[in-house]
Amino acid sequence: MVALPKQIEVEESYLHGGGILGWLTTIDHKRIAVLYGVTTLFFFLVGGVEALLMRTQLARPDNTVLSAYLYNEMFTMHGTTMIFLVVMPAGLGFFSNFVVPLQIGARDVAFPRLNALSYWIFLFGAIVLNIGWFHNLSPDAGWFGYANLTERYYSPGANLDFWSLGLLISGVSSVLSGLNLLTTVINMRAPGMTFMRMPLFVWSVMVMFVLILVAFPPLTVGLIFLVLDRFFDTHFYRVVAGATPLLWQHLFWLFGHPEVYIMVLPAFGIMSEIVPTFSRKPLYGYPAMAYSTALIGFLSYGVWAHHMFAVGMGPVADSAFALTSMLIAIPTGIKIFSWIATMWGGDLKMKTAFLYALAFIVQFTAGGLSGIMHAQPPIDLQQTDSYFVVAHFHYVLFGGSAFALLGGLYYWWPKVTGRLLDERLGKLNFWTMVIGFNLTFFPMHILGAEGMPRRIYHYAPDMGWNLMNLLATIGAFTMAFSALILLINMLKSIRGGELSGPDPWDGRNLEWKVPSPPPEYNFREIPLVRARDQFWHDKYGYEGGATPAAPAPAHPLEEGGAIHMPAPSIYPILIAAGLTMGVVGMMLWIRVAVCGAFLTAFCAIAMGFEYANAGAEDEKQIGAATGLDTRKVGVWAFIGSESLFFASLIATYLIYKGKDLGGPTAETILEVGLTTTTTFILLMSSLTMVLAQDSFRRGDRSWGLRWLIATIILGSLFLGGQAYEFDSFFRKGLTLQTNLFGQTFYTMVGFHGAHVTVGVIILLALAAASWTGWFERRHRDIAVECAALYWHFVDIVWIVIFSIVYLMRSVAKA
Amino acid sequence: MNSQAQTAEAAHEPSRTLAYVVVAGLLAVLTAMEVWVSYIHALGVVLVPLLVVLSGAKFALVVLFYMHLHYDSWAFSVIFVPALMLAMTVVVILLFLMIRFFEGF
Repeated sequence: MVALPKQIEVEESYLHGGGILGWLTTIDHKRIAVLYGVTTLFFFLVGGVEALLMRTQLARPDNTVLSAYLYNEMFTMHGTTMIFLVVMPAGLGFFSNFVVPLQIGARDVAFPRLNALSYWIFLFGAIVLNIGWFHNLSPDAGWFGYANLTERYYSPGANLDFWSLGLLISGVSSVLSGLNLLTTVINMRAPGMTFMRMPLFVWSVMVMFVLILVAFPPLTVGLIFLVLDRFFDTHFYRVVAGATPLLWQHLFWLFGHPEVYIMVLPAFGIMSEIVPTFSRKPLYGYPAMAYSTALIGFLSYGVWAHHMFAVGMGPVADSAFALTSMLIAIPTGIKIFSWIATMWGGDLKMKTAFLYALAFIVQFTAGGLSGIMHAQPPIDLQQTDSYFVVAHFHYVLFGGSAFALLGGLYYWWPKVTGRLLDERLGKLNFWTMVIGFNLTFFPMHILGAEGMPRRIYHYAPDMGWNLMNLLATIGAFTMAFSALILLINMLKSIRGGELSGPDPWDGRNLEWKVPSPPPEYNFREIPLVRARDQFWHDKYGYEGGATPAAPAPAHPLEEGGAIHMPAPSIYPILIAAGLTMGVVGMMLWIRVAVCGAFLTAFCAIAMGFEYANAGAEDEKQIGAATGLDTRKVGVWAFIGSESLFFASLIATYLIYKGKDLGGPTAETILEVGLTTTTTFILLMSSLTMVLAQDSFRRGDRSWGLRWLIATIILGSLFLGGQAYEFDSFFRKGLTLQTNLFGQTFYTMVGFHGAHVTVGVIILLALAAASWTGWFERRHRDIAVECAALYWHFVDIVWIVIFSIVYLMRSVAKA
Repeated sequence: MNSQAQTAEAAHEPSRTLAYVVVAGLLAVLTAMEVWVSYIHALGVVLVPLLVVLSGAKFALVVLFYMHLHYDSWAFSVIFVPALMLAMTVVVILLFLMIRFFEGF
C-alpha cells in the first residue's frame, strides 16, 4: 500500500486567496464548480418555495392562497427553475466541472476561460428568467411553453419575453459547457486512460455532453422563431398564416426528451461511483454499463414524439416512437441490475451517500416502470396531462436524478471542502427526504388515475381528491424540513466539520489521490493510468501481484519544475454581460442591444488573443492520451453542434415550403444568376483560405497574409451580394412578415450570413495579428487552422442552402 | 513531440497547393452542372436526387480536402460524421412527420 498525500495546508487549496475579485475572474474549474453549486443551491430553494406555495394552494379544495394567474406563474417557473437552473446545471456545472478533470488526471478543463464564460452566461440567463417576479410578470405558459399560447396575441405581457430570452441565454451557456467538457474528456485524459479505463461517471457525463451539443440547437431554433414571432411579428407558429404550432412541439421535444437524459445521466454516473465504493467491490459488468450508457444516449434522441402521442401523429409515427421508447428500458435495466449485482456479496457501508443511492434504485425504477406505461399510445392518451404524469416524472427526476445528486453531494463534499458532513444529520436528512418524497408523489399516481388534471389551481370538495392532496402537501413540507436539515449540515461542516483527509471513503478513482480540497493545479505530476480503478490498485496492488507496464504518452509530459496554470481573466464576465445586454436590449431599447453586441465582440476578440498568447499553456494543448490538438477537437465538436442548428433551420424551410397563403415565393422571386455568382465567390474563398493555411504552415507569412486578405475580400463580396439580394427582395414586397417563405428564407439565409460575418471578423483579427507579428508562429498557425475549419463549415452549409433553396426553387413543396 | 517540433515538421511537408486548386476547379464545374440541371424541366422527379448527389459531392470535397478530414486524424471524422448523420436524420424524420400532419396522414 502506497503512502497517501497528507492533508494539505488551507492556503494551498484552490479555495484560498484572491478575494471577491479572485472569484469574479477565476477560471479554475473547481472554483467555477463551486460557483455553479452555490447558484444551483439557491435556485433549488427558490424552486422549492414555488412548489410549497403550489402544494399549499392544493392542500384543500377551493383554496385561495394563490390566484389562478399566480398559480400559472408558479408551475411554469417551478418546472423551468428545477430543470434549467437546478438539476441540469448541478450535473453539468457542479459535478462534471469539479469531478471530471480530477477523475481523468487533468489539471483543468480544455478551455478554462470558456468555462468561466459558461458560468456567467448561465447566471445572467437565470436572472433574466426570474426578473419577472419583481414586476409581477413571471413566465406563465408552462415549462414547455407550447405555441400558440406563447404568441404575443395570446400572451401580450412581457412574461414570455423573459422566458424565451432567458432560455436562449442559458442555452448558450449549456452548449459552451458541453463543448468544453466533451473536449476535455476526449483530449485531456492522462496517459493510459483509455475509454475503457475511464470511471463510469466520466462515461455517463461524456454521453450527456454529446446530448447537450445535439439537443440544444433545435431548442435554440425554436426559441429564435418564438422571439421573432413575438418581437418582429413573424408567424412561425400561426395557423392563420399557414403555419402550425406543432412545429414548436417537435423542436421543443427534440430537445426536451434528450434533456431528460441530460438530467439523468450524471445521476447514473454518480450511482456508478457510490455503489462500488460503499460495496468495496469493482463495478459489476463495466463494459455493459459503458455500452448501455452510449445506447441510452443514442436512443434518447429518437423518442421525442412520445410526448406528442395526444397530438395525433398517425399509427406509423405512434408505433415507431412507442417502440423506441420501450427499447430504452433495456440499457436502463442493464444499469439497475449491474448496480444490484455490484452490491451483491459486497461489504456494504451504510453511509448517507449510499442510502441515497439505494433510494435512487427503488424510486427511479418505479418512475421508469410508469414511464413504460406512457410509452404505449392508448394508455398515454388516458394519462396525458393528468397527475399520473406528474407523479411519473417526479419519480424519475426527483426520486431519481435529485436523489443521486444529493448522494453525490454527500460523496464529494469532502473533496470540495476538505471536511465531512455530519452522518447523523445526514441520515435524518435522508429519511425525512425519502418519507417526504414518497408521501408527496405516490398519492399523485392515485389522483391521476382518479382523473385529476395537472395544472389546475383549485378543485371542488366533492371530487374525492381531498385526502390525497392533503397527504401530498404534508409530504412537500416534510421535504422542505429535510432540505433545512441539509442546509444546517452544510453550514455546520463548513464552520468546523471534521477534516476528511484525501480519501475518506477508501475510493477507487484518481480524485481521491489528491488532497482535499485539491490544490489549484490538481496533480503535481500527471498520473499514469495502468488499469481501471487506478487509485484502488495504487493502494492495494494489482490482481496477480504484477504491476502492468506504464503507458507511453502520445505527447511528452511536463518534467518537474514550476506548474503553469492559466491566469484569471475579466473577459468572461464582461462577455456574458454584453451578451445579456444584447439579448435583453431587444425588450428595452435597441441601443442597449447594440452596445451589448459591441461589448461582446470586443471582449471576445480580446479574450481570444489573451488565450492564444498564453505562453506555457500552449504545451498542454496537445492531448497526452491522443496526441490531438485540443483546440481542433473543440472546433470540430462545435461544428457538429452547429450542424444540428442549421439542420433545424433547413427542416423548417422545407416543412413550410409551398404552404404560403400569398406573396412572392421561391419560384417567383429568386434570381439564380446572381446567387450562382456569390456562391462561386464563397467557394473560391474556401480555396484562398486553405491556401492561406498552407502558406502559414510552411512558414511563408507573406503569402499567408495575402491569401487571408483575399479570403476576407471574397467573404465581404459574398455578404455584399446577399445584402443586395435582400434589398431587392424588400423592394419586391418580400419582408420577414410577408409569408412563410419570407420568414424561413430570411431566417435561414440571414443566420448563414451572420456566420459569414463572424468569420470575416475573426479573419480580420487574425490578419491584423499576423501583420503586426503579435502572434508567435505556433499560436498563429493553429489559430488560422481553427478559423479555416469554421470558414469551410460555413461554406458547406451554403452548398446545401444553395441547392435546396435556389436550385430546387421550382419543386412545388417538400 | 512538442508543438515547436510539430511546427518545424509541418514546414517541411510538401505543399498541397495543386490538390487544393484541382478541388476548386471541381467545385466550380459541379456548381455549373447543378445550375444547368436545375433548368432542365424534363428531368422531373430525377431533379431532386440529382441535385442532392451533386451538392453532396461538393460537400464531400470541401470536408475531405479543405477541412482536411482526408489527411487528419480519424478522430475528427468520428466527431463530425455522426453529428452530420444525425442532422440529416432529423431533417428527414421531421419532414416525414410534418408532411403527414399537413396531409392528414
